[in-house]
Amino acid sequence: MVNFLYGIGFGLCFLVLFVLYRGIFGPGVFNRIAAISAIGTKTLVLLLIMGFIYNRAEMFIDISIVYALLNFVGTLAAAKYLEMEK
Amino acid sequence: MDISDLFSMLFLIGGLFFFITATAGLLRFPGFYTRLHATGKGDTLAVFLCLIGLAIHAGWTLSSLKIIFIAVFMFMAQPTATHAISRAAMKAGVKPWMKKDEPQ
Amino acid sequence: MISNSTDIIIKTVARIFIPFIQLYALYVIMHGHHSPGGGFQGGVILGASLILLLITHGHRQAMERISEKLISNFFSIGVLIYAGIGLLCIFFLGNFLDYGKLANLLQVDIANARSLSILGVEIGVGLTVMAVMVSIFYNISKPAQSRKNEENHDKSISER
Repeated sequence: MVNFLYGIGFGLCFLVLFVLYRGIFGPGVFNRIAAISAIGTKTLVLLLIMGFIYNRAEMFIDISIVYALLNFVGTLAAAKYLEMEK
Repeated sequence: MDISDLFSMLFLIGGLFFFITATAGLLRFPGFYTRLHATGKGDTLAVFLCLIGLAIHAGWTLSSLKIIFIAVFMFMAQPTATHAISRAAMKAGVKPWMKKDEPQ
Repeated sequence: MISNSTDIIIKTVARIFIPFIQLYALYVIMHGHHSPGGGFQGGVILGASLILLLITHGHRQAMERISEKLISNFFSIGVLIYAGIGLLCIFFLGNFLDYGKLANLLQVDIANARSLSILGVEIGVGLTVMAVMVSIFYNISKPAQSRKNEENHDKSISER
C-alpha cells in the first residue's frame, strides 16, 4: 500500500508541473489565478498522502484543513480585488 | 491485501484519472471560460474521490471523520471560488471564445 | 472601498462557513500542546474568518457588526490576560510567569497548574493576534474620504 501511495504522489507532482505552465504563460491574470487554485487543491491531497506514508496521519490532517481554508479565502480575496480594477 | 485496501486503491485511481483529465482541459482548451469549466468541476470531483479513498484507508478512527469534513468543505468551497473568479472576469471584460474567432 | 457583494451565492456560502472556521480556530488554540497549533496560529485563523466577512459583505456591514472600538478593546484584553497571569504569579511570591506558585489558587498539583496557565496565556495571545490582524485590514481598506475626515477630527481635538 505504501508503494501505491508513492506512485499516486509522484503522479500528482507531475501534474503540478503541467499546471504551472498555465500559471506562467497564461495570457492575462485570471488564468493565473485559476492555475494557483488548482495547484492548491493538488497540494492538499499531497499533504494527506505524505501523512499516511510517514504514519503520522493526525498531524497532517490538521495542517491540510488549514491549507484548504486559506486557499479558499485567498482565491475569494484575489477575485474581489480584480473585479474593482476597471 | 484486504477488501478495504482494494476499495481505497480504486477510489484513489479514480481520483487520479479525474485530476489528469482536468489538467488536460486546463492546458488544451481555447478561451478562459472553458478552461475554468474544466478545472473547477474536474478538480472538485477528483478531490472528493481521493479523500474518500484515504478515509477508507484510515479505518474507523477520528482521522477518517476529519477527512470527511475536509471533503465536504472542499465540495462546497471550490465551486464557490470558481464562481467568484468567473464573475470577476465577466465584470472586468474578458470575452468568451467563439468558434468564428478561430482562423479557418 | 470594499463594496457589498451583489451575489447571493458567495454571501450565503460565507455565512455558512464563518462559524465553523471560528470553531476550528478555537480547536487549534486549545490543542497547542498536542498537535500543531497554539496561540499564534489559532489567532491567525480567527482573524481570517473576520476578513472573510469583510470581503464578502462589504465595509459598512462588517463595521456594523464589529466596530473599530470593539476591536481595540480586544487587543487590550489579550495583553491584559497575558500580563495579568504573570503579575498574579508575583503576588504569590514567585518570579514573573512562575506558574508553579498558582497551585494553591487553582487547587491542583504543580504540573497541572503549569499546564492550565500556559493554556490561559495562549488564549490571550490568540485574542491579540486576531484583533491586530483585523484592525490592520480595516485600516488598509478604508476609503480615502473617511480617512481625511478622521485626520481633520484628530487635528481639531489636538488644537483645542
